[in-house]
Amino acid sequence: MSGKKGFDMVLAGVGGQGIVMLSNALGNACLAAGQKVITGELHGLSQRSGSVYIHMRIGGDVLSPLIPYGQADAIVSLEGMEALRYIEYLKENGVIIMNSRLIHPPVEVARLSREKRVDFVALDSILEKMKVVTSGIAAIDALSLAHKAGEPLAENAVFIGALSCLASFPLSAEQLKKGLLRVLPEQAAEKNMRAFDLGQQAAYETLCGQLECRMP
Amino acid sequence: MALSDIINPKSGQAFMMCNEAIVRAGIESDVKVVSFYPGAPTSEILDTFGAAQAHFDYHFSIATNEKVALETVAGASMAGFRTLTSMKSVGLNVAADAFFSLGYTGTKGGMVVVVADDPHCHSSQSEEDGRFFGPGAYIPMMEPADPSEARRMVMHAFEVSERHRVPVLVRTTTRVNHQSGIVRLGPVKRKAFKKAKWSEVGETYFTVGEIARRNKLKALERAAALQNEFEDSAFNVVTKGKGDFGIITSGVGYCYAVDAGRALKIKPHILKLGTTYPLPEKKITAFLKPLKRVAVVEELSPYLEHAVKRIIHDQGLAVAVMGKGTGHFSEALEYNVSIVAQALAAMTGADNPLEYETILKRANDLKSVLPDRIPIFCAGCPHRATLRAIQQAIKGRNVIYNNDIGCYSMAFFPPLNFSDSMLCMGASLGLSAGMAPVLEDSVMAMVGDSTFFHAALPGLVNAVYQNLNITIFILDNEVTAMTGQQVHMGTPEGRGMPPGKKRIMIEEVCRAIGVEHLKVVDAYDVKGNVALIKAALDFQGPAVIVFRRSCALHGDRIKRRSGVPIIPNAVDKAACQKPHACIREFYCPAITFDADDRAARIQPETCDGCGVCAQICRFGAIHPVSAKGPGKEKKK
Repeated sequence: MSGKKGFDMVLAGVGGQGIVMLSNALGNACLAAGQKVITGELHGLSQRSGSVYIHMRIGGDVLSPLIPYGQADAIVSLEGMEALRYIEYLKENGVIIMNSRLIHPPVEVARLSREKRVDFVALDSILEKMKVVTSGIAAIDALSLAHKAGEPLAENAVFIGALSCLASFPLSAEQLKKGLLRVLPEQAAEKNMRAFDLGQQAAYETLCGQLECRMP
Repeated sequence: MALSDIINPKSGQAFMMCNEAIVRAGIESDVKVVSFYPGAPTSEILDTFGAAQAHFDYHFSIATNEKVALETVAGASMAGFRTLTSMKSVGLNVAADAFFSLGYTGTKGGMVVVVADDPHCHSSQSEEDGRFFGPGAYIPMMEPADPSEARRMVMHAFEVSERHRVPVLVRTTTRVNHQSGIVRLGPVKRKAFKKAKWSEVGETYFTVGEIARRNKLKALERAAALQNEFEDSAFNVVTKGKGDFGIITSGVGYCYAVDAGRALKIKPHILKLGTTYPLPEKKITAFLKPLKRVAVVEELSPYLEHAVKRIIHDQGLAVAVMGKGTGHFSEALEYNVSIVAQALAAMTGADNPLEYETILKRANDLKSVLPDRIPIFCAGCPHRATLRAIQQAIKGRNVIYNNDIGCYSMAFFPPLNFSDSMLCMGASLGLSAGMAPVLEDSVMAMVGDSTFFHAALPGLVNAVYQNLNITIFILDNEVTAMTGQQVHMGTPEGRGMPPGKKRIMIEEVCRAIGVEHLKVVDAYDVKGNVALIKAALDFQGPAVIVFRRSCALHGDRIKRRSGVPIIPNAVDKAACQKPHACIREFYCPAITFDADDRAARIQPETCDGCGVCAQICRFGAIHPVSAKGPGKEKKK
C-alpha cells in the first residue's frame, strides 16, 4: 500500500475475557505516545462465551477500522483457538501471541460426548495449522503467569507485556505500561505490572530466536 | 475510554469509542434531557450517559421503548431544551409514528436522534436501511465516518436543529458506532439547568387536517432551506484526484474507499457526503460535471446511487454511474477494504494487490479444525432452566413456539433448536393471536421482561380480550440482559433500580388486565415447573407463567460487589454414570468432561452455582463444592 504503513493487529478472545479492556489499555498507550490509532470492534451482545475480536490499527495512513485480509502484523489472542479463527487477517510470517490455554465450547464438548470420543481440539493441532502462515508464534500460558504475578485476572497484562518485546511494535514497554495503568484500578496496578513483566519475558524467550525482539 | 475522559471539563484528546464520542458531544453541547431504550450497536451511548449522570445536571431516563424515549426528548425539546436519544435501526421503526409527525410539528431546543443501522445483521433481525427515514419524514440527516467526526457532527446537529426547528437524524452503522480512535475534545461549558415556563415557550405542536397541510408546506420550505445550507456544509468534502473517475460515498464507506484507492494506487476524485438529507445537489452536480464515470460506495440500499442517477438525469450530464446497478456492489452484507478494492479494480482496470479469495480459502481450510463458538446461554442463565422445563413439559404434544427478541432468542440454536418464529419486539404475542384460531397445536409465546414492557403489552391485552388459547411464558431476569443488563421497569430495588423510581410487577399488570391463569415461579425449579407448564398448556384461554430469576451476569456482579460468595458445583466422579445429559442436553459453558475417564467435570471458575445441572443429572452426581462428600474434585 502507498502511504505510511503502521502496525495492524487483531485482538481476539472469548466474550468475558476482557478484550475491551485490552484494547482500551493499548489505545490509551497510543494516545499518550502520540500515535494515531483506530479500532473496529465486534462485541455487540452481552452473553459470554461467544467469539469476539477487535481490529486495532496503530500509526499508518489508513481510515478503515477493519484490517484487509492478509495485512495484520500480529494476532493477539486471549484464547488459543480464537487466534486461528481470524488467521485470514494475518500477513505471511506475521506474529501470533496467544494463550496456550484452550476454552472448549459446549458445541465441541457435546459433539465429542455424543460420538463417544475424547479427542478435544489440541493446542498442537492449532499450532500446526498456524505454521502454514507463520513461524512467529508465542503460545503463552497466561493464566499461570497471571497466577504467578498474584492476580489470576491479569492475563491481559501478560499479553500487553508480550507485545512489548516485539521490535516492530511501535510503542515501548514504558509507554504500554502507562496505557495499562490508565485503565486499571490503583490497587491492581502492582500485580498487573508484574504480570506484564512475566509476559514480556515469556514472549522474549519464545520469539527472540525467530524475529527481532527487544530485551526485557 | 475512561469515564474521566467523558466528564473532563477541559479540552484535550481521548481514546474513545464513537458511541462515547457522541455522549461527549452531547455533554459539550449542554444537552439537558436524554432518554433511551437499549439496542446494539448503540447501547454504549445509553450506558455512558448513565455512568456520567452523577457529574452533570441532564435528565437521564431509560424508557419503556424507543417511541417513548423519542417522545420524551421531543417533549423536552418542545419546551426549549437540548435533547438526545439513540436507537438501533429497528428501534426507529417502533418510534417511527412520533418521528414522522415531528417532521410536521417541528421542535424547539436542539434535538438529535442517533439511529444505527446494522449491515451484516451482527445483532439485528434485518439489514434495514435507516436512511429512508430522513427524506420520508422531511427530517435532516447526517452521517459520520469515525468517532472524531461523530463528535463534531452531533455538536453541529444541535445547532442545525435549533436553526431549523426540527430534530436532526444522525445515522451511523455498526462499524462506525463500534469504532474507537483518538478524539479531540472541546471544553465543557454548561449552563445550570433551570425549569422553563410553558407560557414563555410560546409554541404549539399540533398536527391534523388543515394544520397538518400547512405543516407539510412548511416542512417542504424547511427542506429547501436545509438543502441550501448543506450546499456549503463543511461535512461534505471533495478530495481532488486525477483523471475522470470519481467516487461518491458516505459514512464508513468513505474509509473503505480511501484505503482501497491507496491499495490500488489510483487517485479518484472523492466526494464524501456528511449531510445525506437533504443532499447538496449543487455540490454533487459540480463534482460530477468533469467526470466520465462515478462509483457510488455505500452499504445496503442504493440510496445515494439513485439520487446521483436522478441528478445526472435532471442536469443532463453524461456520467456513467457504477455501483449496485452495474453489479459491482451488493445490497447485502457489510463491505470492507478488500470488497471495495475488488470493485474499484473491476471499474478502473487497476491491478489489485489485495488478495482475497486465495487468502480466505486457505484460512477456511486451516480453520476447519475449529469448533463453532456460537453464542450460548451463560453459566447460571435462568433461561436455560426455563427452556429445559418447557421442553420436558411439551413432550408428546403438538406445539408451535413463537420466540421473541432477547437472550432467550438463542433457544433457536443447539442444543434446543427450538423456535418456530422470531419477528420483532413483542411479536410472539401478535403472531400467536393469528395462529391460535387457525392451528390445531398448542400455541406458545415466549417473551422477556424488558420486551414485555417494550412491545408485548398490547399483544397481551389483545390475547386476554380475545380470550385466545395461548400459553405465554414471561422470562423475568430483572434487567434488559442482552444489551448489557440495563435496568427496566421491573428491575427490583437493590438490584439496580435507580432511586425515586417505582417498580412495576409483571404479574400485577397481568392480573389487572384480567389474566385468570397466572403463575409466578422460580426459573431454577425445573422439576416443579414442568407440571405447571403442562397445566398452563391445558388451560382454555390465555395462561401466563412468569419465570423469575436474576440474569446470571447481573446477579453474579451484584454478589461479587456485596461480598456474597459464589459457590460452584462439582461432579462426584464415582457417582457419574457418564450419560452426559448435563453436557449433551444442557450446553453449560462450565461443564465439560475429562478425556481420561470421560466423567463430567465442572470448571469452578466458570460455574455460577445455580445447581440446575444437579436436577438434570439422574444419578445425583452433582453437588455444591461446600457440601460434604463429593465435590472435592482436584482442579485440573
